[in-house]
Amino acid sequence: MADALQLARAASEAALATDGVIRLGTGSFAEAATYGPGEKVSGVIVMPEEVQVHVVLRYPLDKPIPEAANSIRENVSPKVEGRETTVVIEDLEVSEE
Amino acid sequence: MRIFNRIVVILLLAGLFVLGIFGIVYSFNLFGYQLSQLPQILNLQTIYSGAQEAVSDAENGTLTDLTFFILVGVALVGLILLVLELKPRTPRLVQMQKGTYVTRNAVKTQVLNATNQSSEALDSSAKVKARRGTGAKVKLKSNVRRGENEGDARSSIKNQVSDYLGQIGIPISRIKVKTSETDPRGKGEQRVN
Repeated sequence: MADALQLARAASEAALATDGVIRLGTGSFAEAATYGPGEKVSGVIVMPEEVQVHVVLRYPLDKPIPEAANSIRENVSPKVEGRETTVVIEDLEVSEE
Repeated sequence: MRIFNRIVVILLLAGLFVLGIFGIVYSFNLFGYQLSQLPQILNLQTIYSGAQEAVSDAENGTLTDLTFFILVGVALVGLILLVLELKPRTPRLVQMQKGTYVTRNAVKTQVLNATNQSSEALDSSAKVKARRGTGAKVKLKSNVRRGENEGDARSSIKNQVSDYLGQIGIPISRIKVKTSETDPRGKGEQRVN
Protein backbone atom coordinates (compact mmCIF):
# COMPACT_ATOMS: atom_id res chain seq x y z
CA MET A 1 0.00 0.00 0.00
CA ALA A 2 1.40 3.41 -1.00
CA ASP A 3 1.84 6.09 1.64
CA ALA A 4 -0.05 9.37 1.58
CA LEU A 5 2.76 11.27 -0.07
CA GLN A 6 3.09 8.75 -2.92
CA LEU A 7 -0.67 8.82 -3.45
CA ALA A 8 -0.64 12.62 -3.44
CA ARG A 9 2.16 12.69 -6.02
CA ALA A 10 0.31 10.21 -8.25
CA ALA A 11 -2.95 12.16 -7.92
CA SER A 12 -1.17 15.43 -8.62
CA GLU A 13 0.44 14.06 -11.82
CA ALA A 14 -2.86 12.58 -12.98
CA ALA A 15 -4.72 15.84 -12.38
CA LEU A 16 -2.07 17.90 -14.16
CA ALA A 17 -2.21 15.52 -17.13
CA THR A 18 -5.93 16.27 -17.60
CA ASP A 19 -6.87 18.61 -20.44
CA GLY A 20 -7.81 22.06 -19.23
CA VAL A 21 -5.89 21.94 -15.94
CA ILE A 22 -3.31 24.74 -15.81
CA ARG A 23 -1.97 24.02 -12.35
CA LEU A 24 -2.98 22.72 -8.96
CA GLY A 25 -4.50 25.13 -6.47
CA THR A 26 -3.09 25.90 -3.07
CA GLY A 27 -6.34 26.14 -1.11
CA SER A 28 -8.30 29.27 -0.39
CA PHE A 29 -9.00 29.01 3.36
CA ALA A 30 -6.18 26.75 4.47
CA GLU A 31 -3.28 25.35 2.52
CA ALA A 32 -4.35 22.35 0.44
CA ALA A 33 -1.39 19.98 0.63
CA THR A 34 -0.21 16.60 1.79
CA TYR A 35 2.79 16.69 4.06
CA GLY A 36 5.56 14.16 4.49
CA PRO A 37 9.03 14.20 6.00
CA GLY A 38 10.82 17.12 4.37
CA GLU A 39 8.35 17.31 1.52
CA LYS A 40 4.85 18.41 0.68
CA VAL A 41 2.60 17.96 -2.32
CA SER A 42 0.53 21.09 -2.91
CA GLY A 43 -2.98 20.91 -4.30
CA VAL A 44 -3.82 17.40 -3.08
CA ILE A 45 -5.13 16.38 0.33
CA VAL A 46 -5.05 12.67 1.05
CA MET A 47 -7.48 11.54 3.74
CA PRO A 48 -8.31 7.99 4.87
CA GLU A 49 -11.49 7.80 2.76
CA GLU A 50 -11.11 10.68 0.37
CA VAL A 51 -8.65 12.51 -1.83
CA GLN A 52 -9.27 16.19 -2.50
CA VAL A 53 -7.73 17.65 -5.64
CA HIS A 54 -7.60 21.45 -5.94
CA VAL A 55 -7.19 22.68 -9.50
CA VAL A 56 -7.09 25.84 -11.56
CA LEU A 57 -8.69 25.45 -14.98
CA ARG A 58 -7.75 27.12 -18.23
CA TYR A 59 -10.06 29.91 -19.40
CA PRO A 60 -11.77 29.97 -21.85
CA LEU A 61 -12.98 26.51 -20.97
CA ASP A 62 -12.83 23.66 -23.48
CA LYS A 63 -15.90 22.12 -21.83
CA PRO A 64 -18.25 22.99 -18.97
CA ILE A 65 -16.74 22.81 -15.49
CA PRO A 66 -18.65 19.67 -14.36
CA GLU A 67 -17.35 17.77 -17.41
CA ALA A 68 -13.80 18.98 -16.75
CA ALA A 69 -14.17 17.88 -13.12
CA ASN A 70 -15.38 14.45 -14.25
CA SER A 71 -12.33 14.08 -16.52
CA ILE A 72 -10.04 14.98 -13.62
CA ARG A 73 -11.85 12.45 -11.41
CA GLU A 74 -11.55 9.75 -14.08
CA ASN A 75 -7.80 10.33 -14.28
CA VAL A 76 -7.20 10.60 -10.55
CA SER A 77 -9.48 7.83 -9.22
CA PRO A 78 -7.38 4.86 -10.42
CA LYS A 79 -4.35 6.30 -8.60
CA VAL A 80 -5.85 6.74 -5.14
CA GLU A 81 -6.53 3.16 -4.07
CA GLY A 82 -10.32 3.30 -3.91
CA ARG A 83 -10.60 6.59 -2.06
CA GLU A 84 -13.37 8.94 -3.14
CA THR A 85 -12.07 11.78 -5.32
CA THR A 86 -13.34 15.28 -4.63
CA VAL A 87 -12.48 17.97 -7.16
CA VAL A 88 -12.31 21.60 -6.05
CA ILE A 89 -12.13 24.20 -8.80
CA GLU A 90 -10.23 27.06 -7.22
CA ASP A 91 -10.09 29.41 -10.14
CA LEU A 92 -10.27 29.82 -13.88
CA GLU A 93 -7.21 31.49 -15.37
CA VAL A 94 -6.51 32.83 -18.82
CA SER A 95 -3.67 30.73 -20.14
CA GLU A 96 -0.61 32.61 -21.45
CA GLU A 97 0.16 29.83 -23.94
CA MET B 1 -21.75 34.77 14.29
CA ARG B 2 -19.37 32.16 15.63
CA ILE B 3 -16.74 34.91 15.77
CA PHE B 4 -19.05 37.02 17.97
CA ASN B 5 -19.69 34.06 20.25
CA ARG B 6 -15.98 33.34 20.35
CA ILE B 7 -15.27 36.94 21.39
CA VAL B 8 -17.91 36.66 24.16
CA VAL B 9 -16.35 33.41 25.41
CA ILE B 10 -12.82 34.91 25.24
CA LEU B 11 -13.98 37.93 27.26
CA LEU B 12 -15.66 35.64 29.81
CA LEU B 13 -12.54 33.50 30.13
CA ALA B 14 -10.35 36.60 30.42
CA GLY B 15 -12.68 37.84 33.18
CA LEU B 16 -12.44 34.49 34.96
CA PHE B 17 -8.65 34.60 34.68
CA VAL B 18 -8.51 38.08 36.22
CA LEU B 19 -10.90 37.02 38.98
CA GLY B 20 -8.74 33.95 39.59
CA ILE B 21 -5.63 36.12 39.98
CA PHE B 22 -7.49 38.41 42.41
CA GLY B 23 -8.74 35.32 44.26
CA ILE B 24 -5.21 34.00 44.69
CA VAL B 25 -3.80 37.37 45.74
CA TYR B 26 -6.54 37.98 48.30
CA SER B 27 -6.75 34.39 49.58
CA PHE B 28 -3.04 34.15 50.35
CA ASN B 29 -2.75 37.69 51.72
CA LEU B 30 -0.18 38.61 49.08
CA PHE B 31 1.10 42.20 48.70
CA GLY B 32 -0.80 43.22 51.82
CA TYR B 33 -4.24 42.38 50.39
CA GLN B 34 -6.62 40.47 52.62
CA LEU B 35 -9.77 38.55 51.74
CA SER B 36 -11.69 40.31 54.49
CA GLN B 37 -11.15 43.65 52.66
CA LEU B 38 -12.65 42.39 49.41
CA PRO B 39 -16.36 43.11 50.15
CA GLN B 40 -15.47 46.73 50.96
CA ILE B 41 -13.22 47.21 47.93
CA LEU B 42 -15.73 45.73 45.52
CA ASN B 43 -18.60 47.50 47.27
CA LEU B 44 -20.39 44.18 47.52
CA GLN B 45 -22.88 45.44 50.10
CA THR B 46 -24.54 47.70 47.51
CA ILE B 47 -24.61 44.87 44.97
CA TYR B 48 -26.10 42.48 47.54
CA SER B 49 -28.82 44.93 48.54
CA GLY B 50 -29.58 45.73 44.86
CA ALA B 51 -29.85 42.03 44.02
CA GLN B 52 -31.96 41.41 47.11
CA GLU B 53 -34.27 44.25 46.14
CA ALA B 54 -34.60 42.95 42.55
CA VAL B 55 -35.38 39.42 43.76
CA SER B 56 -37.98 40.62 46.26
CA ASP B 57 -39.50 42.87 43.56
CA ALA B 58 -39.69 39.84 41.26
CA GLU B 59 -41.29 37.75 44.02
CA ASN B 60 -43.85 40.44 44.72
CA GLY B 61 -44.46 41.05 41.03
CA THR B 62 -43.41 44.67 41.34
CA LEU B 63 -40.48 44.77 38.90
CA THR B 64 -39.85 48.16 37.37
CA ASP B 65 -40.45 48.47 33.63
CA LEU B 66 -36.75 49.02 33.05
CA THR B 67 -35.75 45.82 34.92
CA PHE B 68 -38.46 43.89 33.10
CA PHE B 69 -37.26 45.06 29.67
CA ILE B 70 -33.62 44.40 30.57
CA LEU B 71 -34.49 40.81 31.62
CA VAL B 72 -36.53 40.24 28.45
CA GLY B 73 -33.68 41.74 26.38
CA VAL B 74 -31.09 39.48 28.01
CA ALA B 75 -33.31 36.43 27.41
CA LEU B 76 -33.85 37.40 23.76
CA VAL B 77 -30.15 38.03 23.11
CA GLY B 78 -29.35 34.67 24.71
CA LEU B 79 -31.95 32.94 22.55
CA ILE B 80 -30.69 34.61 19.35
CA LEU B 81 -27.07 33.70 20.12
CA LEU B 82 -28.09 30.11 20.89
CA VAL B 83 -30.04 29.75 17.63
CA LEU B 84 -27.19 31.28 15.60
CA GLU B 85 -24.69 28.95 17.25
CA LEU B 86 -26.86 25.89 16.58
CA LYS B 87 -27.58 26.85 12.97
CA PRO B 88 -25.40 24.84 10.60
CA ARG B 89 -22.57 26.85 9.09
CA THR B 90 -22.93 28.07 5.51
CA PRO B 91 -20.53 26.06 3.36
CA ARG B 92 -17.44 27.85 2.10
CA LEU B 93 -17.39 26.12 -1.26
CA VAL B 94 -20.16 26.00 -3.83
CA GLN B 95 -21.18 22.44 -4.59
CA MET B 96 -21.71 21.82 -8.30
CA GLN B 97 -22.50 18.12 -8.12
CA LYS B 98 -21.53 15.26 -5.83
CA GLY B 99 -17.77 15.46 -5.31
CA THR B 100 -17.25 18.66 -7.31
CA TYR B 101 -16.90 22.08 -5.73
CA VAL B 102 -15.96 25.52 -6.91
CA THR B 103 -14.71 28.38 -4.75
CA ARG B 104 -16.98 31.38 -4.20
CA ASN B 105 -14.25 33.59 -5.55
CA ALA B 106 -14.18 31.68 -8.84
CA VAL B 107 -17.98 32.00 -9.09
CA LYS B 108 -17.74 35.71 -8.35
CA THR B 109 -15.13 36.19 -11.07
CA GLN B 110 -17.35 34.42 -13.59
CA VAL B 111 -20.41 36.44 -12.54
CA LEU B 112 -18.43 39.64 -13.14
CA ASN B 113 -17.18 38.25 -16.47
CA ALA B 114 -20.80 37.71 -17.46
CA THR B 115 -21.86 41.22 -16.47
CA ASN B 116 -18.89 42.67 -18.38
CA GLN B 117 -20.36 41.07 -21.51
CA SER B 118 -23.69 42.76 -20.89
CA SER B 119 -24.18 46.06 -22.70
CA GLU B 120 -26.40 47.40 -19.89
CA ALA B 121 -24.00 47.06 -16.95
CA LEU B 122 -21.28 49.72 -16.86
CA ASP B 123 -19.57 48.18 -13.86
CA SER B 124 -20.65 45.71 -11.23
CA SER B 125 -19.83 44.15 -7.91
CA ALA B 126 -21.01 40.76 -6.72
CA LYS B 127 -21.39 38.76 -3.52
CA VAL B 128 -21.61 34.97 -3.69
CA LYS B 129 -22.89 32.66 -0.96
CA ALA B 130 -22.73 28.90 -1.13
CA ARG B 131 -25.95 27.02 -0.46
CA ARG B 132 -26.06 23.95 1.77
CA GLY B 133 -27.14 21.91 -1.24
CA THR B 134 -25.86 22.49 -4.72
CA GLY B 135 -25.52 25.94 -6.24
CA ALA B 136 -24.87 29.46 -5.08
CA LYS B 137 -26.80 32.60 -4.27
CA VAL B 138 -25.57 35.67 -6.09
CA LYS B 139 -26.19 39.31 -5.18
CA LEU B 140 -25.17 41.64 -7.93
CA LYS B 141 -24.96 45.44 -7.93
CA SER B 142 -24.61 47.04 -11.32
CA ASN B 143 -24.38 50.60 -12.52
CA VAL B 144 -26.47 51.36 -15.57
CA ARG B 145 -26.64 54.44 -17.77
CA ARG B 146 -28.83 57.27 -16.57
CA GLY B 147 -32.19 57.28 -18.31
CA GLU B 148 -32.12 53.59 -19.12
CA ASN B 149 -35.11 51.45 -18.15
CA GLU B 150 -33.78 49.84 -14.98
CA GLY B 151 -36.30 46.99 -14.93
CA ASP B 152 -35.27 45.92 -18.42
CA ALA B 153 -31.59 46.35 -17.55
CA ARG B 154 -31.99 44.22 -14.42
CA SER B 155 -33.69 41.37 -16.26
CA SER B 156 -31.21 41.57 -19.14
CA ILE B 157 -28.22 41.42 -16.72
CA LYS B 158 -29.86 38.58 -14.80
CA ASN B 159 -30.46 36.60 -18.00
CA GLN B 160 -26.93 37.27 -19.18
CA VAL B 161 -25.45 36.01 -15.90
CA SER B 162 -27.64 32.91 -15.65
CA ASP B 163 -27.06 31.99 -19.32
CA TYR B 164 -23.31 32.42 -19.00
CA LEU B 165 -23.04 30.47 -15.75
CA GLY B 166 -25.32 27.80 -17.21
CA GLN B 167 -22.99 27.46 -20.20
CA ILE B 168 -19.93 26.93 -18.05
CA GLY B 169 -21.86 24.66 -15.69
CA ILE B 170 -22.01 26.64 -12.44
CA PRO B 171 -25.40 26.04 -10.79
CA ILE B 172 -27.01 29.19 -9.41
CA SER B 173 -30.05 28.94 -7.17
CA ARG B 174 -30.88 32.65 -7.01
CA ILE B 175 -29.61 35.84 -8.57
CA LYS B 176 -30.57 39.21 -7.12
CA VAL B 177 -29.68 42.20 -9.25
CA LYS B 178 -29.68 45.77 -7.96
CA THR B 179 -29.09 48.59 -10.33
CA SER B 180 -28.20 52.20 -9.83
CA GLU B 181 -28.11 54.92 -12.39
CA THR B 182 -24.83 56.53 -13.16
CA ASP B 183 -23.44 58.95 -15.66
CA PRO B 184 -20.80 57.15 -17.72
CA ARG B 185 -18.98 60.45 -18.14
CA GLY B 186 -17.93 60.24 -14.52
CA LYS B 187 -20.60 61.79 -12.29
CA GLY B 188 -21.50 59.61 -9.30
CA GLU B 189 -24.48 57.35 -8.96
CA GLN B 190 -27.89 58.84 -8.36
CA ARG B 191 -30.42 56.33 -7.28
CA VAL B 192 -30.45 52.72 -6.15
CA ASN B 193 -33.38 50.44 -6.98
